[in-house]
Amino acid sequence: MTFLIISQILNGLGLGMLYALVGVGLTLILGVLNIPNFAHGVLYALGAYLAFTIANLTGSFYFAMFLSPLLVVLVGFLLESQGVRRLYHAHHDYQLLFLFACALIIQEIIIIIWGPIGFSLLPPPSLSGAVDLGFLIYPKYRLVLICFALFMIVCLYLFLTKTNLGAILRAGIENRDMVKVLGINVNVVFLYTFGLGAYLAGLAGALSAPIMGLTPSMGLDILPICFVVVVVAGLGSIPGAIIAGILIGLSQGAATIWFPEATNVVIYVMMGLTIIFRPQGLFGVR
Amino acid sequence: MMKNKYSFIALIIFLFVGPFLFPNATIAEMLIFGIVAISTNIMLGYTGMLSFGQALFFGTSAYISGLMLLGGFPLFLAIPVATFGSFIISLFIGYFCVKREGLYFICLTFAFNQMFYFIAYVWHDVTGGEDGLVGVERPAYIDTQLTFYIFTAIMFLFAVIALYKIVTSPLGLIFKLIRENASRAEAIGYNVRFYKLISFSIASTFTGLAGSLYVLIHSMVPIDQIHWLKSGDIIFMTLFGGVGSFLGPLIGVVGYIWLSDTFSIIWARWPLIMGVIFAIVVLYFRGGVSELLENLFKKYKSISKKTEHEQNIKNRKLN
Repeated sequence: MTFLIISQILNGLGLGMLYALVGVGLTLILGVLNIPNFAHGVLYALGAYLAFTIANLTGSFYFAMFLSPLLVVLVGFLLESQGVRRLYHAHHDYQLLFLFACALIIQEIIIIIWGPIGFSLLPPPSLSGAVDLGFLIYPKYRLVLICFALFMIVCLYLFLTKTNLGAILRAGIENRDMVKVLGINVNVVFLYTFGLGAYLAGLAGALSAPIMGLTPSMGLDILPICFVVVVVAGLGSIPGAIIAGILIGLSQGAATIWFPEATNVVIYVMMGLTIIFRPQGLFGVR
Repeated sequence: MMKNKYSFIALIIFLFVGPFLFPNATIAEMLIFGIVAISTNIMLGYTGMLSFGQALFFGTSAYISGLMLLGGFPLFLAIPVATFGSFIISLFIGYFCVKREGLYFICLTFAFNQMFYFIAYVWHDVTGGEDGLVGVERPAYIDTQLTFYIFTAIMFLFAVIALYKIVTSPLGLIFKLIRENASRAEAIGYNVRFYKLISFSIASTFTGLAGSLYVLIHSMVPIDQIHWLKSGDIIFMTLFGGVGSFLGPLIGVVGYIWLSDTFSIIWARWPLIMGVIFAIVVLYFRGGVSELLENLFKKYKSISKKTEHEQNIKNRKLN
């Protein structure tokens, strides 16, 4: 039983890391651009599918993990520069609808290119198999995933707190108009933010492919989870999104032990509890 | 007032001509989603709240009325119970959602929608899970195509008139006030949250009414009807028609359902085309169809006015 609990907690942690990555991407876009990115889920799916194709073409798993999020960033740039930017002067309902339309389009393109059947992407030999932790034998890829995601989160944290661009992004979340007044080109900031958000979504998608497989509906399924992460975290809070993502992953892992059929509902139970006891979210200010 | 009179006349004409233009199931779907879009507009256009969770009420109510019909209850009991059910749910969910504004409101309604989706998905024994709720039968008295259409049209007219009464009542004015300036409304002494909740609740209750009718069209409730993509479609239909006028959203519904019906026969990947249309509409025709028509009308008017003005100048010069 203890083995089961520990391994499920580790599973939940891995899942939570992925949720944290996607959730932070959504939070960044939400905070800086002030729009809920409805295309975030399909960017995640696109990351996974591109990684699958690149890994099959080149035979290198690591190269796929490197390249596919970057391609997703290009798609993100395209969405921002061609669509969202033209709509800044309009009401944000329309930006939302535009991204919703893009989600439909990319979703269908994924089905057209890769077909409606799911795939699985195997981790490379160096990462497959299991490691003996002494008290527990655990799949190697999942452990590496947890470590790598943690590394990425630390990098992101350092980027946001220690670099100039990071400071501008954080300032953009706090007060967008003030950033504009200080003479910073907001269009560029928005473009980079959208790109960074897309990168995180694509990376999480690519990383998730070996453990969760690829299905055309993966983008549509992850999106509500991202929004729950944002709601639990408190709107626009990046540390909140990281912690909320990990918490939700862990609670899903815990639910797998005791109520396997309720793993998807438990996310919303967490959200419900948050709204009742802390309506502004865990890290929300207002 | 004159404009509304004309659009109501157009509506009545549409109700008579519609069944000859579109197949039976399509026109029924148009009327039912017409109720959804017009009621959503009360919240979106009049009160200025964008909820991304309207499929929740549509789907839940469809499940309730479908289950009651399967359980042998009569239709005239199933519809009110389902509608009342979505009213209660909307009060409960609205209570938490209206506390927050803007983006947070969108996120919350969206997440609640998916919560109900998963409940329907997991609760296989009752809702049929992924297969949807099947085998619901229409009562004998609305089983023929004609009687079913008349029944839907009457329900539709009832809903439209009720919603029109709400919009033109003082309550409708308060909604508009909240949209224009919520803090001023608060200052005058209106409890903004309470009225937002009422607006949310009205929209959701009528959406629920439409959902309870939907189950009769295809004798089933597909689980898609409660998925968040449906909520997006509902928002799009409303905005596509134009939120500026009372009956505008109906144009959006007719256009949307006609287009999706047409494309879904041609190509299995029809949502791609719908997505492209969404994007084009959002980028270039933001006011929706009704505003497009209005602008054309205005342009025509201003051209005729201009020529009149030029004529006057010429006349003056001659004098």
